[in-house]
Amino acid sequence: MKLRHLGAFCAMGLGLAAAPALAEYPERPINMIIPYGAGGATDISARTIAEPLGTAVGGTLVMSNITGAGGATGSVAVQNAKPDGYTMLFARVGSHSVNPAMKATLPYTLDDYRFVTVYEINPVACAVRPDSGIESMEDLVSLTESEGTSYSSSGVGSMLHLAAVFVLDEFGVKDPLEKATHIPQKGGGAAATAVLNGTATFLCTNTSALASFVANGQLKPLMVTTDEPVPGFDAPSASSLGKSDLTQLVGWTGIAGPDDLPDDVAAKWGEWMAEAAGNEKFVEQMTARGSVIEVMSPEEANEFIETQYETFRALVDKLGMRIEG
Amino acid sequence: MSLIDSVMAGLALVGNWEAFLSLAIGVVIGVVGGAIPGISATMAVALALPFTFPMQPINGILLLLGVYKGGIFGGSIPAILIKTPGTPASSATILDGHPMAERGEAGRALGMALWASCTADFVSNLALIFFAGFLASFALSFGPPEFFALILFSLTIIAGVSGESLLRGALSALLGLLLATIGLDLVYGTNRFTFGDPNLMGGLNFIAVLIGLFAIPEVINMVWHPTGHMGKVQKLGSKWVTFAEYKRCFRSIIRGSFIGVFLGSIPGIGAAPAAFLSYSEARRKSPNKANFGKGEIEGVAASEAGNNGVAGATLIPLLALGVPGDVITAIIIGAFMVHGLQPGPMMFVLNVDIIYGLFIGLILSSGILFVVGGLAIRGFRPVADIPKRILMPMVLVLCIYGVFAVNNNIFDVGVMFVMGWVGFVMSRYHIPAAPFLIAFILGPLLEDNFRQSMLMSGGSPDILLRGPITWFFWTLTVIAIVAITRGTMRAAQSEG
Amino acid sequence: MQVQLGIGAIIGALFLILYAIPYWVSSPSNVRNIVLSPLFWPYILGGLTALIGLALVLTGRQRLGGGDPVNEPIDDPRQGMMRLAAMAVLMMATFWVMPWLGMVWTSMLAFVALAFLVKTRHPATAFICAIVVPLVLYAFFAHVASVAIPQGELVRLP
Repeated sequence: MKLRHLGAFCAMGLGLAAAPALAEYPERPINMIIPYGAGGATDISARTIAEPLGTAVGGTLVMSNITGAGGATGSVAVQNAKPDGYTMLFARVGSHSVNPAMKATLPYTLDDYRFVTVYEINPVACAVRPDSGIESMEDLVSLTESEGTSYSSSGVGSMLHLAAVFVLDEFGVKDPLEKATHIPQKGGGAAATAVLNGTATFLCTNTSALASFVANGQLKPLMVTTDEPVPGFDAPSASSLGKSDLTQLVGWTGIAGPDDLPDDVAAKWGEWMAEAAGNEKFVEQMTARGSVIEVMSPEEANEFIETQYETFRALVDKLGMRIEG
Repeated sequence: MSLIDSVMAGLALVGNWEAFLSLAIGVVIGVVGGAIPGISATMAVALALPFTFPMQPINGILLLLGVYKGGIFGGSIPAILIKTPGTPASSATILDGHPMAERGEAGRALGMALWASCTADFVSNLALIFFAGFLASFALSFGPPEFFALILFSLTIIAGVSGESLLRGALSALLGLLLATIGLDLVYGTNRFTFGDPNLMGGLNFIAVLIGLFAIPEVINMVWHPTGHMGKVQKLGSKWVTFAEYKRCFRSIIRGSFIGVFLGSIPGIGAAPAAFLSYSEARRKSPNKANFGKGEIEGVAASEAGNNGVAGATLIPLLALGVPGDVITAIIIGAFMVHGLQPGPMMFVLNVDIIYGLFIGLILSSGILFVVGGLAIRGFRPVADIPKRILMPMVLVLCIYGVFAVNNNIFDVGVMFVMGWVGFVMSRYHIPAAPFLIAFILGPLLEDNFRQSMLMSGGSPDILLRGPITWFFWTLTVIAIVAITRGTMRAAQSEG
Repeated sequence: MQVQLGIGAIIGALFLILYAIPYWVSSPSNVRNIVLSPLFWPYILGGLTALIGLALVLTGRQRLGGGDPVNEPIDDPRQGMMRLAAMAVLMMATFWVMPWLGMVWTSMLAFVALAFLVKTRHPATAFICAIVVPLVLYAFFAHVASVAIPQGELVRLP
């Protein structure tokens, strides 16, 4: 037996029983897989919604972190799971639109999943050290053109990696891969630290990850990828800088199952999410981190992710960033 | 606000029984969680986190810190009793703690572990309170070139844990470095030895390798030689650690505490290397060097001082910069944020009462750890009396559950089994396991920081010597290598 | 024995350098600097392994006939090997059966099999422990630590 079937077996073991009568779904705990480590943006988002969602579901949700390979290990566990609705995934921008766009060897594609919702959107901000002398995006672009700059990310094929290239490309930097050096780190925390200690010039990441550094005056935001300014971030929005294409560049968290998830299960999730996301405490906690809570229907979610994927894919192909090996 | 005012404001926050109780509950959860392999300090903190959301911010954070500190000590209990580190940080404790248990002195080893842990914890907390500002600014001057030099120096501790043969130790370390290359490449994201398997793309799980290397070979060894333990009485023993022994080890404990404080205040290193470094320094300085690895109580003291010294110091970058030093503090940062607190320089201005409240609570935690730890040692006493041929199947089952729970992946159980055989073959060939483990932890750090430095400089090696910190560690490395070579030469001469 | 070990290390290193690294490590074609290539570090490790192997062989030959640490001999090496083989089978069986049978039932069987394999003197105690220990661990991990312990397809526990 091949090793790659192993993931399938793991996941099957988690959620199997004699075919459940779907009318009673869920009749046992649902295993919710978080493909990133504890303390990260996905983990915090998932664990914050767990409580109101558990109430809406009326059953137990078991949160399981399966980390590794930029979200791929956990995603594959769900890809191979039985589509009975008892194994679901917290999908994230990194694992489900940047990774598929950048990595040729990824063991899954977007078609292997059925999205039941996207419930959180989190804008991206680019930031530098306040003593770097860079005051605006213009400064950053001209420095990149003249001397060259560097940016940190949480790893190759992460949203941070693509975001920095996307931003430079939109601001007209020719050949951003040559002029700006990518210095990958292990994890989002390390990426921010790399800018703090001067290893890299700038980074572009979710506002939730930057909020405390910005509030403390340790990092200076240059731009946020939204139409409207973001509270707490003293920086122009992408639209006000005339780069409205950049509003595609946002982080999101959604919930997905394997691709042949039955319709009635997907429908149930739609109801539950609408109820859970209405929870005031949840909304308050998430918006405090700069997120926008907006529950999408399965169709809207699919379209949203597909559009973002296409945008990223076009950029990756244009610049030759695809990872083949 | 003056210092006195700040301290009073802090006292007002924690001067009540709720704060005290949350800290104590935290320590209890931590010690028990740390003592169960697979739960580990990290998971115990993650599990306790949601329960702290409804609490007062200061009480919730104190509870988590209690779990953290308790967990780091608790890990030493199974490390000594069943040769399975409850938490990665306690792997160095096995080296001398388990041989002591095999001699029937588990009680003595555990007692010393507790005393050393509490002392180091106290030192670490004091360092946090007095030097937070200074050490934090120092930590930010550590970029990839500095890390590279520091880790290169840390790799020389392999010589200290190699046992009799340096060459075998080096071979073991290379094996660890090679296995650590499995996974996705850092800079290009391409596959290295993954065979297209998504489970291998994330690299081998550290805990699975650790437990596989230390606990499973014991089980296999029992299968190979079922009556080998006869005649060796493994009991907790009536002997308890004495104050004279504590005094004898005091220098090592203090040295270990400072090593822990230093490594803890730099983000990204963690408690396990600190414990090993402290251990190898204690061995180097000790008059009875030959006894290390065979059940020398000073070895236990040094390892436990090293890893508990980290626990307070990781809060330095967390509080002063908002940068988590390891996974555990990354989770604790989550607790701060849920309560609307943003760790960083501004917190010393905006929430000074909470900062001082935490300081006071931390000082108390060393004392609580001493009491709870003493009770826990008595509570786990029966483990030492279980017949070995019943204990080993229990260890096997416990390891299966524990390793699965770390990353919810059955594949890791397979990794643990395979590593168990690797460990067994290594022990048959008298290749020490500790260098393997150190190399497995430090190898990826060494490679990543080297390549990040090269990316920064555009390929010029000059950057590796860019400032006083790098010079300092390069000098230390050279001195260590010279000392090791001379020691080996001398040993070879006296032999031949 | 040290010579054996050295030769083993050299063979391993040659295998790495000549076959494993070129075939099992992929590197993009546009690597600008050799030190940044994903192959650079594995090759260094391969080379170092060969060096250590050589040193092991050389020093091992020098002090042939003494100085090597020896393993404690056992009475029944042949049966010992059989037991090791049985252990390997037990581990493989545990690993493959677990997704289908569930972790609790599999570990009960593994417990009994291992206790039998090491010829325990307390069969009754072993049997009771084999049932109780996995159940207690299940209760703890699944209900206190909320870990999704694999349940298997046959009998699910609450």
